[in-house]
Amino acid sequence: MNSTWFMYLGFSAVLLFVGIYCLLTMRNLIKLFIGIEIISKAVSLALLTSGVVRNNVLLAQSLVITFIVVEVSLVATALAIIINIYRHTKSLDVRKLTKLKG
Amino acid sequence: MIFLFIGLPLLVAAVLPLIGKVSKKILPDILANAVFLFLFVLAITSGRAMISQGPVLRRLDWLGEPINIQVAVDGFSLFMLMAIALVTLCVGLFSIDYMDHYGSKANYYALLLMMMTGMNGLVLVTDFFSIYLFLEVAAIASYALVAYGLEHDELEASFKYLMLSVIASAAILFSIVVIYSLTGSLGFVAVGEGLRALDAGLVVGFCAALFIMGFGLKAALIPFHAWLPDAHPSAPAPISAILSGLLIKVSGVYALTRIFFNVFGLTATLSQVLMWLGAVSIVVAAFLALGQEDLKRLLAYSSISQVGYVVLGLGIGTPLGIAGGLFHLFNHALAKGLLFLNSGSVQMATGTRNMDEMGGLAKRMPLTAATSIVGSLSISGVPPLSGFWSKLIIIIALVQSGEWVLAVIAVLASVLTLWYYLLFQRKAFFGKLNERWTAIKEAPFWMTAATVILALLTVGIGIVFTFVIRSWIQPASDVLVQGIHLVVGSWGF
Amino acid sequence: MILQIALLSGLVLFSILAILSKDLLRSAISLAIASLFLGIIFFRMKAPYAGVFEISVVAGLITVLFILTIALTKAEGDVRESNLAKIVFPLFFVVFIIIDVLVMKGLIQKIPTLPGSADQGTFGDVLWKQRTFDLVGQLAVILAGVFSVLALFRKRDKDE
Repeated sequence: MNSTWFMYLGFSAVLLFVGIYCLLTMRNLIKLFIGIEIISKAVSLALLTSGVVRNNVLLAQSLVITFIVVEVSLVATALAIIINIYRHTKSLDVRKLTKLKG
Repeated sequence: MIFLFIGLPLLVAAVLPLIGKVSKKILPDILANAVFLFLFVLAITSGRAMISQGPVLRRLDWLGEPINIQVAVDGFSLFMLMAIALVTLCVGLFSIDYMDHYGSKANYYALLLMMMTGMNGLVLVTDFFSIYLFLEVAAIASYALVAYGLEHDELEASFKYLMLSVIASAAILFSIVVIYSLTGSLGFVAVGEGLRALDAGLVVGFCAALFIMGFGLKAALIPFHAWLPDAHPSAPAPISAILSGLLIKVSGVYALTRIFFNVFGLTATLSQVLMWLGAVSIVVAAFLALGQEDLKRLLAYSSISQVGYVVLGLGIGTPLGIAGGLFHLFNHALAKGLLFLNSGSVQMATGTRNMDEMGGLAKRMPLTAATSIVGSLSISGVPPLSGFWSKLIIIIALVQSGEWVLAVIAVLASVLTLWYYLLFQRKAFFGKLNERWTAIKEAPFWMTAATVILALLTVGIGIVFTFVIRSWIQPASDVLVQGIHLVVGSWGF
Repeated sequence: MILQIALLSGLVLFSILAILSKDLLRSAISLAIASLFLGIIFFRMKAPYAGVFEISVVAGLITVLFILTIALTKAEGDVRESNLAKIVFPLFFVVFIIIDVLVMKGLIQKIPTLPGSADQGTFGDVLWKQRTFDLVGQLAVILAGVFSVLALFRKRDKDE
């Protein structure tokens, strides 16, 4: 495949790395969710790149749009859970969430 | 007609909150369970006739114009539809009594119906991206359902489940991106043909690895299982039942199997990888289950172990192995659903999940104890219950393929399973009646009814297992055995 | 091409700022700017609809949801992130980029593809006629999200 595909995919992989690094090391719940958002950006970029390389940009666009709709639903649910966690523990520290073990 | 499986739950879910404003409990109960019952009957009766001539493709028509909504039904899809409808029906019946004190029942049923929409959709679609889409529908519904009680434990479990699940979805989507870039299409048929024509071994292996990571996490195979022992115990009992009994199998095992058998084609390497993944899950989870005090956590680890059996059976690749794996999938869905519903009855009566605090419950809750024994023995593989036959078939298939090591592992792990289930039975139901529980009563009507139905089915299937295998499992396993030829050759689109 | 690479670098830069920044509000705004960059990148890839959606939904709606959550959860003491993670990050980042570039360069021309056909029709045709089932799925996912939020924020009666 031509080199533009690899360039875009390379940047997408970098974004993926940044997102996963955030998930692994950050402690604030909302920061963790920002990590997930960055991963979603990486995925949308990759989806659209595949369309560019196949000369099928319209199809890739509809995939990206569907993916963004799914992402919105996911963000809404996750933020609802985070707000509820805050109501219980009065803090956004992920280290407080270690009750379940074993 | 087939589209009803997706459209009906979606429609009823959409109107349920409005109905919930009018009638808080009765109407949502009746409506939701009516939908489940209807879909179960539909799967059993008309579905069979439809696929008797081979897989069927349906295109929807809207006011005379054909819309591009394609659903395909074959033996495997129909088998899953039937299992989904059956377990969801029992969970729905159980919820009539159990979810009374959680509040907002209409909302709960709406989420349950959305999960069913997602699962049914996943089973019926014909292209990769739609599988991802309906997977997310079911998953989002499940995040909210796990956290439904809004207590600290449930929220923590749901959050961890969500985080890991998102990574799984990302892995699946990246794999889809590579496949689309290679072959230029998303439908199973086109991708299957394209990959055959391309013969791009290493890249397909990379995609397969990403799929194993993604769907393996959804199916809670070791080493991707970390979310399950927290999520399943903390969720309300009927939700634990539907997650353990259905969701991990539909969104994990079904999707993986469909892709590997019908699109990629099962190579020898893939077969070995699947078998060993299954074997590791069986053994590690069985050991982890041994030390558990929390009843539902023990059941959760047991789920991981049994899904390992299913993957092991499917990974063998021979017709007997596939049949064994599918049969075990069905048996485990029934039995684990039964056990989790039971745990709900126990939790409602005693208020605890700690087995050491229970004792002698059989004297006060005889029906619950009886159904619990049936479920435990079935999963442990004791004849003549259904679980025995499915495990036996898997072990015979392993021996036939010359995989002696795996066969021995499967047998030994089964003994281990029997051990910890007997321990659970002894601690919770038999022995001396703990003084704290002298005043408890048997569980309410619908809860016992649901568990009794599942127990009777487990016993019944154990007795007439040849009939069940011939009429339900055989068509499903034929589809998988024919593998890639089925999709490329005879789906005809 | 150069502009594209600059935009992509901007995207990565603002994403890094979003995770390394101490103040949550600044993180949310960095994320929004990163989405803006991504939207412009989509425009230049000849995908205007995806670009519009990305900017209006991700940079708009999701940022608003984030800021709403941040406002509702003003913690008593802020969560102290590990400084070690932030200092070590550039090292890992550079290592990863090197591996990334090498892998990508090595794989060029080594992956076979099928020749394909170009798009037919307009975007409307593709979305409504080719991927119609996706619309059903989108409806389902939106409903699932709505019900989830309703369930998670429901009023708990005291004796339920």
